[in-house]
Amino acid sequence: MPHLDLDERQVVFKIVYYGPGLSGKTTNLRFIHRTLAERYRGDMLELDTEEERTLFFDFFPVSLGDVEGFSLRFHLYTIPGQVFYEASRRIILQGADGIVFVADSQTDRLEDNLESFRMMQANLTSFGYDSEGFPMVLQYNKRDLSPLLEPGTIERELDLDPGLPVTESVATSGRGVMNTLKIVSKEVIRRFRLD
Amino acid sequence: MATRRFSNTRRTGEILKGIVKETNAVTALLISREGVCISSAGQTDSLNATALAALVAGMFAATREVANIVGEEHFSILLQQGEKRNIHISLIGHRSMLVVVFEDNKRIGRVRLATRKAARKLLDSIEKPPEKKEPSGREEISMPDFREYALNLVDQIFNVGKEDDAPSGPR
Repeated sequence: MPHLDLDERQVVFKIVYYGPGLSGKTTNLRFIHRTLAERYRGDMLELDTEEERTLFFDFFPVSLGDVEGFSLRFHLYTIPGQVFYEASRRIILQGADGIVFVADSQTDRLEDNLESFRMMQANLTSFGYDSEGFPMVLQYNKRDLSPLLEPGTIERELDLDPGLPVTESVATSGRGVMNTLKIVSKEVIRRFRLD
Repeated sequence: MATRRFSNTRRTGEILKGIVKETNAVTALLISREGVCISSAGQTDSLNATALAALVAGMFAATREVANIVGEEHFSILLQQGEKRNIHISLIGHRSMLVVVFEDNKRIGRVRLATRKAARKLLDSIEKPPEKKEPSGREEISMPDFREYALNLVDQIFNVGKEDDAPSGPR
């Protein structure tokens, strides 16, 4: 839910990077944090296990500057992808204004992608959101590996809206990462309403 | 999607100042359930309020799930005790949390009392429409202009470099 403060004159949006375990959500966030100039980004928090798997969430704020007298900010989060952290995923997903679904492009991860996407849809529905019209980007990550899922596979398997924006990326090198962020941010801004 | 509006954050800040003064706390913050710092008072320079808000919101949400598991609807107060500093977190209505960071743990009773006293005032302040006769948010924020400038900023700042040339789908 967008946060609009009329006294402090700021607008804050929450973007959540969602997807199955080891699909590259944290790698996306780390690349964005590295790439953005210091004046735009706050410190990055990583709440992870000793094996560097996300335990609760990763987070950092992005301040884009002044728009029509309002300070425009994005809060970027990842969720823990491992199956048994479902309760934590629900907590982080709540209040999201946009989602990047980071899919693992390796063919043997198809079922994991589908299961994760279905759970995300179920969570959105349980929060009362319309998962069809929700600002979202489907990112096929790890395009440097093989064998790869054909683009379109996940959309076809889940019968997703053909208008859903889709990107391809290699988060470890940064390819496609900023483009994905740009697309989801624009989706969020376009759907921002005052009521 | 509905937008959560706040319009009396200055007044809220005055209430928080009162808590800091009364309890000699280091700082007091009001944060939204979404993890955004709504208002703060006291020493905030040495604390990363943005990160603190995100963490406390996550922590409180996790605690609510724990409460559900043990058959409670929620735990209304969380207290974290440290060597030098302590944190008292209390629910303000269903959508906000009051965080008080204080040093002297003997003051816990005073903190508890002050936060309880302030809870109603804070709730009124954040849920009430603006007191002054001022233009509403709808008039203050011109949506077509806001969208246009915001989209431009996104284009400039989330810059796509040479490496970032992966194809993208519709729209």
